Amino acid sequence: MPPIKFFCFAASYAVAFALELLHQFWPRRSVRAVSLGFGFAGLLAQTLFLMEKQPALSWQYGLLLFLAWILAVFYLIGSLHHVRIAWGVFVLPLVLSLIGLGRAFDLGDNTPRFRIEELLSMDDAWGRIHGGLLFFAAVGVCVAFLASLMYLFQARRLRNKTLPTAGFRLLSLERLEAMNRRAITFAFPLLTIGVLIGAVLIYQTADPRVGWTDPRVLSTLILLVAFAVMFYIRYGLHLAGRQVALWTIVTFALFVVCLLLPHAVRQGGVE
Amino acid sequence: MILLAVGCSYKTTPVEVRERFAINEDRLARAHDALTARLGCEAVILSTCNRVELYLGQVLNQLPAGARLLTVEEVGTLFAEFHGLPARDVWPHLYAHQNADAVRHLFRVAASLDSLIVGEGQIAGQVKKAYELAQRHAGAGPLLHALFRHARQVARRVRTETGIAHGHISVSSVAVDYVRQVFEHFSDKTVLVIGAGKMGELTLRHLRQLRLKKILVTNRSPDKAIAVAQGCGGEAVPWDRLDELLTRADIVLSTTGAPQPIMTLDRYHKIAAQRTKPVVILDIAVPRDFDPRIHDGDRTCLFNIDDLQRVRDRTLTDRLRYVPAAEGIVEHEAQQFLTDWARRRHGQVIARLTQDFEEKRLEVTKDLFARLNGKLTDDDRKYIEGAFRLLQNRFLNGPISALKEASHAEPEDARGHTLLDALRKLFRL
Repeated sequence: MPPIKFFCFAASYAVAFALELLHQFWPRRSVRAVSLGFGFAGLLAQTLFLMEKQPALSWQYGLLLFLAWILAVFYLIGSLHHVRIAWGVFVLPLVLSLIGLGRAFDLGDNTPRFRIEELLSMDDAWGRIHGGLLFFAAVGVCVAFLASLMYLFQARRLRNKTLPTAGFRLLSLERLEAMNRRAITFAFPLLTIGVLIGAVLIYQTADPRVGWTDPRVLSTLILLVAFAVMFYIRYGLHLAGRQVALWTIVTFALFVVCLLLPHAVRQGGVE
Repeated sequence: MILLAVGCSYKTTPVEVRERFAINEDRLARAHDALTARLGCEAVILSTCNRVELYLGQVLNQLPAGARLLTVEEVGTLFAEFHGLPARDVWPHLYAHQNADAVRHLFRVAASLDSLIVGEGQIAGQVKKAYELAQRHAGAGPLLHALFRHARQVARRVRTETGIAHGHISVSSVAVDYVRQVFEHFSDKTVLVIGAGKMGELTLRHLRQLRLKKILVTNRSPDKAIAVAQGCGGEAVPWDRLDELLTRADIVLSTTGAPQPIMTLDRYHKIAAQRTKPVVILDIAVPRDFDPRIHDGDRTCLFNIDDLQRVRDRTLTDRLRYVPAAEGIVEHEAQQFLTDWARRRHGQVIARLTQDFEEKRLEVTKDLFARLNGKLTDDDRKYIEGAFRLLQNRFLNGPISALKEASHAEPEDARGHTLLDALRKLFRL
């Protein structure tokens, strides 16, 4: 079997996205079916790609590709579950963006690889728990971001009193708010514990390059603070709706900064 | 085939006349008997609040000897007699469509293109029910069976392939559509009904279908509040608790007859400050009960009667955009039905013609081979058989091609001077 290229799944998702858009303006079952077909093809190709390349989660390349893979599964399940909703129109651009961002971190043959024997060994177990928790927190952040984006879109439609049948159909505000709340509730403890484990690891490490001023550490702490503020808005001030949605988007932006900042700093030669 | 669609609709007849022409289920059996016995035809009666139509059909080659052919005049006269009215009073209101036009008309009716509200979904069900009732009363035969089955397919195609049925057109349905954009679950939702307007009753009926947790009713007049609450299984609450109720309700339905808004912006701000959940306010009172500035599309969604009617008008306008596409489907399907029907009947004649020639050919070759027994080799026998088969095919080619061409043309005329009849007579089929 010829090796699966990066282009295979990225192009499949792009075609699925284009068809999802087309379906909004030209609603035909056939369009939807072909769109889902491309989505499935993309997921299959990405799965095979990840199985072959086995990129490590500790490097942004692997992290972003695995994150995109989970969101692609999220897209397919959502599309099958919410047949009339413009689900793919919101989820697929994020999947494509994560894949594109991941591409920027591709080091070719030097890309760190995931090794099962390392995972099974007890060496650096806390480091892997730290990475795993942050990875699942990232999934939560992405889902919360998508729910917020859809919430703001739906709220805008309602504010303008758009025809219920016109334009993109979305889930109800209540459902989107619940999705956002669950994603945040899922992500916040994972992020907090992950950061705490990371802090202990930094304290223990003798490596002078990894310290409290490391951009990764700083950006992750800022992300945690942003999350804490969002939690306070939601549960302390009992605010909901647009404010929480907007703050979630800010948090997601910080998350992207967390991913990119260390790389940008390294490229600039600070390290 | 003779197919007639005779009747009246809201387009030609005022409601007081349509009421007199209506054929309800009690009289349906008698009407079917009258039509089938006196006219000797298949019959389906479609009687709704907007139309009363008779669909009558005769398949010419299945008519018993001496049977009369259907005419519009006879149907009209029978229609008047059935209702006990003078024919001169009935005729001006009736329209009639024949053959291909009747097929098109039924397909347009079933696809809701002829409805008062284009794209409404009830008519397809009513057409189906009319056909089922006709079957029960032995009114429908092969022609109307094929026609009404095809009409159902047309209605389905038009609904699924065009946007003609998109959206709701009643104000109360539109209100529920908006509520569904905000809320997902309703078993934990409380509705507050303010006032006792007639329009509110309709909307409340739609809202109750969502299976709400609780309905609270308040009114300046406690008696009216109790009456409305009893009617909807709700709870009457004193008017002076309005502000407190507004902090708790998830859906507010306001239909008071108050000359001034009952909820100003400042008053609502105080209420909103105590709320943590979103609220949908359906203000269908005229003059409006709520200040429109309270709407933010997030925590407070306010829709007044103008908003709901705007959606209704826009939906109707949108539906009209799909009418040409729907008419295209109807036309295509009408042609398809006529072609299929003709082909079905021509197919029987072609089969009988071919079988007849086949039997004659075998008879002739059998005699020939018997006379030449022992003088022919196997190759000679095959050659002779092939030659006779070729002759048969060449001989039949002309009539069969002509029949196939005719199946794509208009159906035969009522008097039966058709190619089909000519072939039957010529070949004694």
